[in-house]
Parts: sequence; structure tokens; C-alpha cells
Amino acid sequence: MTTQVSQPASPVTGPLERAVNARKGKKLTTGRLGVIGLVVVLGAWQVTASAGWVDASFASSPVGAVKALAHMIGTGELWPPLLSTLESVAYGMIITVVVGIPLGLLIGRSNTLYGLTEPLVSIMYSVPFVVFLPIIIFWFGIGAEARLVIVVWSAIFPLLINVIAGARNVDMHYLQVAKVFCAPRLLTLRSVTFPATLPFVLTGVRQSVGRALVGAIVAELFMGNAGLGYVVQTETSAFKMDDAMAAIVVIAVLAIVLTRSVAWIERRFTFWSSSV
Amino acid sequence: MTPPHPKLRVRDVEIGHRSGRKGTYAHAVDGLSFDVAANEFIAVVGPSGCGKTTFLTAVAGLIPISGGTLELDDRRIDGPGRDRSLVFQQASLFPWRNVVQNIEFGLKAHGRLDAAGRARVAELVELVGLGGKGDKYPRELSGGMSQRVNLARALATDPELILLDEPFAALDAQTREVMQEELTRIWQADGVQAGKTAMFITHDVPEAVFLADRVLVLSRGPAHLVADIHIDLPRPRTPSMKRTPEFLAMSDRIVDLVMAQSQIGKQDQPGRRVTSDDHAGVAAG
Ligand SMILES: Nc1ncnc2c1ncn2[C@@H]1O[C@H](COP(=O)(O)OP(=O)(O)OP(=O)(O)O)[C@@H](O)[C@H]1O
Ligand SMILES: [Mg+2]
Repeated sequence: MTTQVSQPASPVTGPLERAVNARKGKKLTTGRLGVIGLVVVLGAWQVTASAGWVDASFASSPVGAVKALAHMIGTGELWPPLLSTLESVAYGMIITVVVGIPLGLLIGRSNTLYGLTEPLVSIMYSVPFVVFLPIIIFWFGIGAEARLVIVVWSAIFPLLINVIAGARNVDMHYLQVAKVFCAPRLLTLRSVTFPATLPFVLTGVRQSVGRALVGAIVAELFMGNAGLGYVVQTETSAFKMDDAMAAIVVIAVLAIVLTRSVAWIERRFTFWSSSV
Repeated sequence: MTPPHPKLRVRDVEIGHRSGRKGTYAHAVDGLSFDVAANEFIAVVGPSGCGKTTFLTAVAGLIPISGGTLELDDRRIDGPGRDRSLVFQQASLFPWRNVVQNIEFGLKAHGRLDAAGRARVAELVELVGLGGKGDKYPRELSGGMSQRVNLARALATDPELILLDEPFAALDAQTREVMQEELTRIWQADGVQAGKTAMFITHDVPEAVFLADRVLVLSRGPAHLVADIHIDLPRPRTPSMKRTPEFLAMSDRIVDLVMAQSQIGKQDQPGRRVTSDDHAGVAAG
């Protein structure tokens, strides 16, 4: 049993706390610098637009974009495209997760399958998925299914790569424990391989949510008839730059919210991992 | 001393590893023979790298033997079985399962996690002194606590033969002593487990003498049996026994046997492989 030595209640901080505080302080400064940077760029943009150095109807302006956004929210014009994009991302992610996680585990656990698929998966991961866009359109048309294909296509490879890496890095000792206790394959997969891989899986999900959004927007830009990407596309064609910018702001917020939510889930479900 | 129907029968066992890029085959265990009677607590000592872990892993059924006979209850060991469990040197607890869930794992794997199984797990949590800590996760446990969980996990399935590979090696001296006493206490107290057969690997000779009914000394690798020593100390064993002249004499004798095997001395330069034709006084290279 370890004995607990009671610490004197002095204000002196230990080296660990100091390090943590220092890091927190740094984070805070980085955050502040980020805000300053953003404000400077937006300010400069606003000034050049207001002073007439650039044509505001051509380049839009922060104030114009905010006004357009407020208007879109006010009239409720924003919700249908936002929901449409979210729907694409959601369906795409469901398919990606349902297919990607079991497939990744399977490939990672089998040396033969891994050998067979590894080059393919890393090529598909590395090649920008947009080059496949014309082919996908040729194969699937430009309907809702084609959009879904694009979302899944762009989202699944980061997930696969991470799950495969995770499944291959499962500590040998964990598997030996399962073996010694004669755990059935399914239990080993569910109770040992999966949780051991979970940190990798969630990292993969976080990356693929980002890619799913990119896929959805790209699909909407090129072949959509709904969604935020479609709004950006049509508003730009109609020279309504403020509205286009407003849609881009919404996409940016969406990207941050989605990624942060998965990061939160990641922390919530891998709390047991000492590295968190 | 060989009973007609031993629990575990080891005859001329040969185990090897294939390693390196060329897949060269090297014996880790060669010509190892002994018997273990039911309800015996066996301690195995031997020089580092002689093949103790390799042998235990084979008894657990994780690796095959390449020659000889290895039988448990007259049946050849050809894979892991529900009648055995293994306590690994590293705690190897699942970090995503809390104490209770870790101890439950074996029963769950056997499909025996019913009301009785859960009651048994609850009992074991108390028995290994972790009452009230059942919902802690491994990263919140000390080394000693982790090894208690590791032990409880192996006991939970109520195995015929429990294999322990230096379970206390990573602990500090103090915790180690405590755990040795705990193990004897658990061994003597656990109703279901009482009197089951155990094989315990250790580098610590006094630990072996304190715990075991018999101490087996293995040779330098590839391992074979060098000595088989009965420990006649009465049970229940108490820590004070460690200071009796009988205990010390027994320990000294075994230490000498092990030292004669390992020949760890000045001639053993670090990084150099000790082979059987190494003799004292080799010229410095
Ligand atoms: N997986 C493996 N592949 C190849 N050789 C191995 C493997 N595991 C062990 N060996 C070799 O087999 C021999 C016996 O190793 P083993 O781990 O059984 O020794 P040990 O007696 O348990 O040692 P220690 O007391 O240090 O734990 C050593 O020479 C080791 O190098
Ligand atoms: Mg070993």
C-alpha cells in the first residue's frame, strides 16, 4: 500500500503545476494572438472596402457578411441549406463509421488482408479525392447518391488508416491475456482489440468528420442543388458576395463545431488512457 | 518422489524459438523433465534468460513444444485451456476496464459470468485487499494494487493450475514482501482455490522458499532440471519463518545452485554472450 504524505498547505507550486500553468498561460497567449490576428485581417479588409480601395460588391466586407448572415437567420433562409449539408455529413459519417471501423479492424488483424490492401489504402488516402469527382459523376450521376458517395469517399480513408494502425498496434500482452483465458474471437475483438484501438478510432473519426464536411461542400459546389456549398456557388454567380461570405462563415463555424465535438467525445471515451 | 498420476507431467521437453531474419532456430528448453503432484506449489528458479518464461508460456499453451511430452491430467497440452491461468510479469491489466471488470474478464471469456461468478469476483476483490476500489481504473492503481488485480483475475476462473511469471518482480522490496504474505494468505484462505496447483517463477530465492512446497532449479539455457528441492517448512507460513536457521540454510543452498549455473561474475562482460565454454580468467578483449 502506498502511504500518502500530506502536503503542507503552502502556496508554493510544484514543478509539475508550474509546467501546467506555464502551458496554460502559453495557450491563452496563443488564443489571444489568434484573435488579434483575425481582428487585424478583418479590420484591414473592412477599411479597404469602406474606403472604396476595393469594390465592396466585388470583394464583400466583414460588416456586409455579418449583415447578410443576420438577414439569412432572420428570414430563416439559412436553415434549409445548413440542414441539407448536415444531413449529407451525417449520412456519410454513418456509412463511413459502420463500414470503416469493422473493415479497418479486419484488415489490421489479418496480415494477408493488410498486405493486400495496404498500398491501395495509402494511395487512396494520399491522392486528393477531388480528382475522382468526374469519374464519380460519370458513375453515379449528380443526384443525392453521388453526393453521398463523394462524402464517404473523402471521409473513409483517414478513418481506415487510423483504425488499421490501431488494430496493428494492439499490445501483444492484451491479446495473450485473451488467449490464455480462451476468449472467443468475437469477445477478443469486442472487449480487447476494439477498446485498445478506440483512441485510434476516435482520432480517425475526428479527421474523417472534417473530410466528410469537405466532401459535402465540394459535392454541393459542383453538382448540388441544395446545401451551404450550393449557396456559396449560386450567390457568387449572382454577384451577391455578402451572402456567399455569410455561407462561408457558417461552414467555418460548422467545421469547428463538428471537430471539437468529436474531440470532446474522444476525451470522454478514452479517459482511461494515461496519455490523455 | 514421482506419483503414479501427476497433475503435470514434463518429460524431455524441448522448446525452441525461431528468430532473426534467417529464422535461426535456438533451443530455449532442452531435455526438461519433472512431475508436479496435485495441490503442489512449485517455485522455479534459474539464471536469467534460461528459458523459464518460455517454458511457462508452453504450459499455458501459448507456444508449442518441439519435443517431449507435456501433459496436464494425462492430456497433452496443445493450446490454452480453461483449466489453466497465467499471471503475467507485467500487470497487463486492460486499462479500459476497472478493477472489477478486469477480474471478471476470465469468467466472461468462459461464458460463466452469472450471479455466482459475480459473487466470486466480489469475494476476490475483498480477498486481495481491494475492497472499495472495485471501480478504480488501472492507471489509478499502484504497482502492488495492479498485481493484486492481476492475481485475482487469474484466480477468478478457479483454474486447476495457476502459472505465475515473476509476478512481483517489478515491485519494490517492501511491497514485494507484503505481496508474498498476501499470496500465502490468499492461497490458504481462498475457499475454492485452496490447495490448487501452482507454478511460480521467480529470481528471488527466499521468495521461492517462502512460497513453495518444492523449488526447481533450472540450468543455464537451454534449460534442464538441475535440482528439485523439497521445502519442509510447515504451513501456514508466517513472515517470521524467513529468519529461522532452516529457512536461511535452505535459501543459501539454492542460491549456491543458481549461482553455479549463472556464473555471473567478473568474466561476464556486459554485451557479451556467455557460452558453455566460457571459463574464468578469459583474457580481456
Ligand atoms: N520470442 C522469442 N524469439 C526468439 N527468442 C526468444 C524469444 N523469447 C525468448 N527467446 C530466447 O529464449 C531464451 C529464453 O528466454 P526466456 O524469456 O524464456 O528466459 P527467462 O528464463 O524467462 O529469463 P528471465 O529470467 O530473464 O525472464 C533466451 O535466450 C531468449 O533470448
Ligand atoms: Mg522471464
